[in-house]
Amino acid sequence: MRWARKVRLLARSLFRKNEVDAELSEEMRFHLERQVEDGVGSGMSREEARRAAIREFGGVELVKEECRDTRRTAFLDHVYRDARYALRGLEKSPTFTIFAVTVLALGIAANTSIFSIADNVLLRPLPYRNADRLVMVWEDGSSFGFPKNTPAPGNFADWKSRNQVFEDIAAVGFEGSLTLLGEGSPEELQTRGATSNLFSLLGVQPALGRLFRPDDDDPGGGRVAILSYGLWQRRFGGDPQVIGKDLTLSQAKYTVIGVLPRGVHFLSRETELWTNAQFTPQQLANHGSHFLQVVARLKPGVSLQSANANLATIAAQLEKEHPDTNSKTGAFAVPLRDQLSGDIRPAILMLIGAVCFVLLIACANVANLLLARATRRRRELALPLALGATRRRLIQQMLTESVLLALLSGAAGLLLSVWGTKFLAALIPAGIAPLDGSGIDRRVLTFTTLISLGTGVLFGIMPALRTSLLDVASLKQGNAQSGGVGTGGKRIRDALVVCEVTLAVVLLTGAALMIRSLGNLYHLDPGFRAEHVLVVQTPLPRPKYADFARRAAFYDQVLARVGSLPGVVSAGYTTWVPLTNYGGANGITIEGHPEPAPGQMPIPNTRIVSKDYVRTLGMKLIEGRLIDERDSKGTQPVALINQAMARKWWPAEEAVGRRFKEGDYAAAAPWITIVGIVDDVHQAGLEAAARPEMYMPYQQQDFFQPSFLAVRTSGDPMSVVEEVRQQVWAVDKEQAVTGAMPLEDLIDDNLAARRMQTSLLGGLAGMALLLVSIGIYAVLSFTVTQRTQEIGVRLALGASRRDVLKMILLQGLRLFLAGAALGVVAALALSRALVHLLYGVGAYDPASFACVTLLLTAIAALACYIPAQRAMRVDPMVVLRYE
Amino acid sequence: MLHRLLSLTEGKGITTSKPTDLVQGTVDLIILKTIALEPMHGWAIAQRIRQVSKNVLQVNQGALYPALHRLEQQGWIQAEWRESENNRRAKYYALTADGKKYLRREEANWDRLSAAIGLVLGKA
Repeated sequence: MRWARKVRLLARSLFRKNEVDAELSEEMRFHLERQVEDGVGSGMSREEARRAAIREFGGVELVKEECRDTRRTAFLDHVYRDARYALRGLEKSPTFTIFAVTVLALGIAANTSIFSIADNVLLRPLPYRNADRLVMVWEDGSSFGFPKNTPAPGNFADWKSRNQVFEDIAAVGFEGSLTLLGEGSPEELQTRGATSNLFSLLGVQPALGRLFRPDDDDPGGGRVAILSYGLWQRRFGGDPQVIGKDLTLSQAKYTVIGVLPRGVHFLSRETELWTNAQFTPQQLANHGSHFLQVVARLKPGVSLQSANANLATIAAQLEKEHPDTNSKTGAFAVPLRDQLSGDIRPAILMLIGAVCFVLLIACANVANLLLARATRRRRELALPLALGATRRRLIQQMLTESVLLALLSGAAGLLLSVWGTKFLAALIPAGIAPLDGSGIDRRVLTFTTLISLGTGVLFGIMPALRTSLLDVASLKQGNAQSGGVGTGGKRIRDALVVCEVTLAVVLLTGAALMIRSLGNLYHLDPGFRAEHVLVVQTPLPRPKYADFARRAAFYDQVLARVGSLPGVVSAGYTTWVPLTNYGGANGITIEGHPEPAPGQMPIPNTRIVSKDYVRTLGMKLIEGRLIDERDSKGTQPVALINQAMARKWWPAEEAVGRRFKEGDYAAAAPWITIVGIVDDVHQAGLEAAARPEMYMPYQQQDFFQPSFLAVRTSGDPMSVVEEVRQQVWAVDKEQAVTGAMPLEDLIDDNLAARRMQTSLLGGLAGMALLLVSIGIYAVLSFTVTQRTQEIGVRLALGASRRDVLKMILLQGLRLFLAGAALGVVAALALSRALVHLLYGVGAYDPASFACVTLLLTAIAALACYIPAQRAMRVDPMVVLRYE
Repeated sequence: MLHRLLSLTEGKGITTSKPTDLVQGTVDLIILKTIALEPMHGWAIAQRIRQVSKNVLQVNQGALYPALHRLEQQGWIQAEWRESENNRRAKYYALTADGKKYLRREEANWDRLSAAIGLVLGKA
């Protein structure tokens, strides 16, 4: 109420100024007349009374001014007047305005775009109810090389029944795929199974139908399916009748019960269909096979620490109860947000630093231009001072100009950031809601406004302060060169250039280190040759292919047919091609080694392959032989192992010819003979070191179903996709063939995030380089203009043109070198922060530092040379005549 | 400006060199109290203060208006143009609802303060 009144009054004073002023005059007039009447009433003459009234009242205009001041519009009046004045000033120097706005807009756009992403990834709530209480729970298998292992169903079940810290805890199986038959071509869908409490735990409501019910967990119950919004729209045209419909997925019947809301995903955006996991009691007692992802909701008020303490207690109990599977196996919880944003957080923080640097450099640049401009306009600016304006007013006026400039840039930057944010959206990890629409909302708008205002003050304050110190007296004497912003101004301009160079060196060094890392990864030997290899997937549906013989027949026929296609060199099946999965991991017992202590069992990764797979991928055989025709169902079981495995468990012995068996010491499994050693392959990602790993022929391992078909071609791998599909369909016309891509794409995908981060940082560093060279150029040009007379005199007195060139060049290079030296020191200090983003290059990499310094020196020399040359061409006669 | 607003009729200004919170609060209190009875225009407010204080307090008339405008801007009083006692248009000030509450609060504060000063001076 009071506020409304105040705002109304303020608005009235602002926008109906004439009316308010008229009222003020009338109020004063009334007072005086009333006082005169009073005086006349007490016997004075009218004239006497009036004089007395005015004397008693004081200066009418002064009182009016005070009244206006109390209405607090004076400040706003000034702002309005200053803004108009500033706009006229900017209009008068369009080159300056356009340059400053462009530079600042780029800086602000970069900041706004990164802010949108960072806000989404790091700050904004996840699209689940009370998401700050959601955690992921992992097994800690550090002692086996799996510090963050997917939990076993048995452990999940025990955590669920024993914990005191979770409101609820749900499990999700790993991403699988099911073939959807029916109308249209057979289609492969990415699916996940989950316990029935998953969606209620997350707090997700269905868009249509229902989500899981507790009885969906019943292993004897029906299979149900929940569609993602995307699948519902794409495959079923958004038809509400889909609820209750039966789908045939890989030969099994699923009933559609519901549709998830648009934009709701969990763990992966690719999951299109959710099924009920229906864990059997036997599965829920299994502590040995680790394949779940577990999410839990903390009880209100329970901290992460107490949750972790509780999990540790339970893990210790389980260790005692199941020593063979749970020895040295811990458990811990990670906040869901950290889980989802963990990989990208350092990169985003790095980019935030980089965009701040670019904006600072832009600010320094514009501040420099403003200083130079103020020097040129000093007569104009000194006028109000000479006429008695306060320094405060002058500062206010100058700051209005710079803030106005910054706001214009902010508006332009906001527009640019729409595009920038779209481009950057690829940085948002799966599971975090993607940016919708333009990405501009109130938060982004507020951020941009604040950063624009801040920028305006930042680059405006220094020129404003300098200008307010103008020496009016010397200007009045008409001393054009020494009056006003003199040597002090030059020192500030020099300091700004030094700062710019410093910031640019840091940014460029960071970019150089990142580029070197990316280069290292591209040139890294991944252990296989990805070029000319096509990958497709043919996941065999059960129960159709439950029978091993039928499966083997399928693989044999497909491999024979594809292998004989023209343009195909070789073909092989595997459970997982590199960079798609760690591979399964099995505990083994090595013949001749003593029984390992509990928890010390060797656990290599396992890949089940066909005989030509190793050759198809171009992996190098180090010792022994590859898997070949001799290795079939009836013959002696064999395995290839990688070097890491040979080194780890047969460090001093010849590994080829040794035997091991799957399972523990007492297991009644057949001995498997090592027939060869192959090169290590970066299976889990190019940056991850290879783990011990073994390859076994599918004929001898009837549990796994290899689904990746790798085909080495003589030409473009994608040119044979259609023929490969036809060959698969010739064997089984209902078989889905999906995911066709060159193996090289997997390498590219694996590096995509890093490539993006690197190119962003590189782009920002490029911007910094450009800004800095412009900064150096501008300062030197200005100096040359200022010193034209001096140069003319020097030349007239016999200085050579070379001397002049040298003088200007040296002035520029001195600034540059000071900045570069500071920059190298700062970069040495700051590049340590990049360490975990680097690969194969140290934070103090001399080559990177040298490159950056050379590049900058070259650019700086060029930026110095142009103005220096202009100085050299000064004609002494012209200058002296002008004097 | 505020120290110019009120003076003792002996001609000595209130002996503060700067407007203090105390002075401003006192001025506000006197003005608000004065118009609490009925809406008044500025001249009448000045007269009334003089009369009620038995000519002890003299209002510097010119300085009264900025104070009124400030109180209006703060939302404690509101203005209205009306016919005056001499049949002219005059700007009348009246308390707002917020102003009435504010006055009550300030009166209570004043009572406490004057009681406290009385105690200190040993005149209670």
